[in-house]
Amino acid sequence: MSNRINTHRFRALKSGLWSLVLALLVSAGPASAELLIRITEGADAAIPLSVVPFAESGAMPAGDNVSTIIRDDLAMSGEFRPLPPEKMLSLPSKGDEVFFRDWRMLGQRYVLVGQMQREGDRVSARYELFDVNRESRLLGETASAPVSNIRTLAHHISDKVYEAITGVPGAFSTRLAYVTLQNVNGKPLYKLQVSDVDGKRARIRLDSREPILSPAWSPDGKQLAYVSFESSKPAIYLHELSSGKRTRIAEFKGLNSAPAWSPDGRSLLLTLSKDGNAEIYKMDIASRSLKRLTNHWSIDTEATWDHRGRGIFFTSDRSGGPQVYYMESEGAEPRRITFGSRYNARPRPSADGKYVYYVHQREGAFHIARTNLETGEETVLTRTKLDESPSVSPNGRMLIYATQQNGQSVLTVISADGGANYTLPASEGDVRDPAWSPISR
Amino acid sequence: MLSVGLHIALVVVALVGWSWTKPLDEPKPRTIAARLIAPQPEPSPQMEPVQQPDPQEEQRRLEEQRKAEARRQAEEQRKAEEAQAREQARKREQERQVALEKERKAKEAEAARQKADAEARERARQQAEAEKQRKEEAARKAAEEKRRQQELERQRQEQEEQARQAAEEKRKEAERRLREQQLEALAEQASKAQEAEAQRQAAAAAAKARESQMMSESEKYQALIRERLSQAWYPPSSATEDMTARLQITLLPTGELASVKLVSSSGNTAFDNSAVSAVRSLSRYPIPDSRDTFERYFRQFTIEFNPRRLR
Repeated sequence: MSNRINTHRFRALKSGLWSLVLALLVSAGPASAELLIRITEGADAAIPLSVVPFAESGAMPAGDNVSTIIRDDLAMSGEFRPLPPEKMLSLPSKGDEVFFRDWRMLGQRYVLVGQMQREGDRVSARYELFDVNRESRLLGETASAPVSNIRTLAHHISDKVYEAITGVPGAFSTRLAYVTLQNVNGKPLYKLQVSDVDGKRARIRLDSREPILSPAWSPDGKQLAYVSFESSKPAIYLHELSSGKRTRIAEFKGLNSAPAWSPDGRSLLLTLSKDGNAEIYKMDIASRSLKRLTNHWSIDTEATWDHRGRGIFFTSDRSGGPQVYYMESEGAEPRRITFGSRYNARPRPSADGKYVYYVHQREGAFHIARTNLETGEETVLTRTKLDESPSVSPNGRMLIYATQQNGQSVLTVISADGGANYTLPASEGDVRDPAWSPISR
Repeated sequence: MLSVGLHIALVVVALVGWSWTKPLDEPKPRTIAARLIAPQPEPSPQMEPVQQPDPQEEQRRLEEQRKAEARRQAEEQRKAEEAQAREQARKREQERQVALEKERKAKEAEAARQKADAEARERARQQAEAEKQRKEEAARKAAEEKRRQQELERQRQEQEEQARQAAEEKRKEAERRLREQQLEALAEQASKAQEAEAQRQAAAAAAKARESQMMSESEKYQALIRERLSQAWYPPSSATEDMTARLQITLLPTGELASVKLVSSSGNTAFDNSAVSAVRSLSRYPIPDSRDTFERYFRQFTIEFNPRRLR
């Protein structure tokens, strides 16, 4: 009897414990673990954004519409998908005219509105950027520029918008240097040109019947270094853009090629064969003194500083074919970076040092590829087939390279991850060797 | 003498009898009277066969005569003797009768005396007997009394014992009752506890089932929300894989967003904004029909934005 009772009590105790545990579990559940949803992937699409045509008061220069330039800039980045103005439900030009509901209905994330005002020979833009979903204003500024520089003003606004949304400085106010080749009267004509990133406002800085190669921007964006055969043999020149002043700084016997600026702008990396074989040298610009950095019977060329300005990437065929190598510091033992195929050349480091971009040959086609320097993972970024000369935008978000389109060399901009691409408007002839300028400070 | 005579007579008879070749039957019991008279029992005559040689006939006849003579004489003598004897017997009978009378009287006296004596003895005996009986009775009574007393005592003790036992029994019974009541109470308590426990468990099981149903329902809607938010989220260019922003959101029962709060910043404004913008971009959240599930999981929850794979 008492035994039974004990059993009962024991069972009751046991089940009591059980339910206590259960209760703890159940009650602990909601208390300690409020529902958490993890979002680890974003939309694999560009951000919907509306650049409403800016209201204008006063005469504006024909052909250059600020909101159109901004729209094209943002589209070129590959990160934005601007809404065509004809699809807009309303055309506000200031904040209090923006009805978020309208833009939300259109699936828009951001709305840029603005007003242009002509003030003498200047034009000013008062613009506001809104986050449709957050219903908040991200930007509200006024900027002005000479009427002749209305594109500069537009690119400036593009930069501001880009940075406000992405947190990364825009690169739309930067410039491109490239070389075009035309056949004029049956003879080739090379032109070194500098344009806006959208290819507009291109200005010829140098033309020559002899090849012009490998333009390289000085870190301050004021000078270009390039190779010119104008003296019938390759020489390296420094070219001050504002004054047009040129200096031939390297004219050694044999090869003088592939100039690259050090981040401090005081020295250049050059490929010279003055000692019999193509080797990489560092030249102090002020003293013209040289320091040889490689010493190998094979070809070493196309050197470039890494993002910190300490290590050096270059191309070497010491393994039999061209491959990308990296030396930790000047003169250090090079380490091979690329292994994906038998041809990998013309390295360009990313701004954050995470990747190195290069020309990659695969199955007879030349693509732009990148290798993740941490993991060694190689990604082919382009689908075009005769790609060459990659150059990374100073904000690291875009890449420009030369490729073939309809039998002609053109420049194409892609986002740094290989997304949407944008081909610059065709100019006369072939376009080669693009170089993206740094951000002017 | 008599006996000798008898003997001789018998021998003679025997001889005579034998002489007739055929043995004589038993002699006539003439002496029976005499024998009856005589108080003394005669010894049974022993018949001994006498072997007599076969004498000569003459002699035998002479002898027979002599013997007959003798037998007559003897008979006379015997008759005389018998008369004498009968006289003697009468006298003796007389004497005997006197003696008998005397003896009878003496016997009577003796008997009377003896009777008196016996009576006295009887009386004495009876007295003694009575006394004895009395004493015995007294003793018996005393014993009886004692026994009775003892019996009483025993009974008393028995009663006491019974009473004690009854009391003990009663006490035990009371104890037993009490214990049983306690046990019953305990059992009832246990059973109630068990019942309550069973109810609690049933409730817990139901809650668990509901919970798991809600959980699976919740998971479905979590997945939907995750999908919608992933499509709505545009990680900015500046995003890196180590950035994490946490937002606490509150929904209305219609699925509309009531509020969103940045509870943990990624450290990057553009990143945080992109997360908030994504959360706010959904005009209506996919939420379960079950109000319980909604209240339990989706009234308020946290969304974490942390890119694993950036383009």
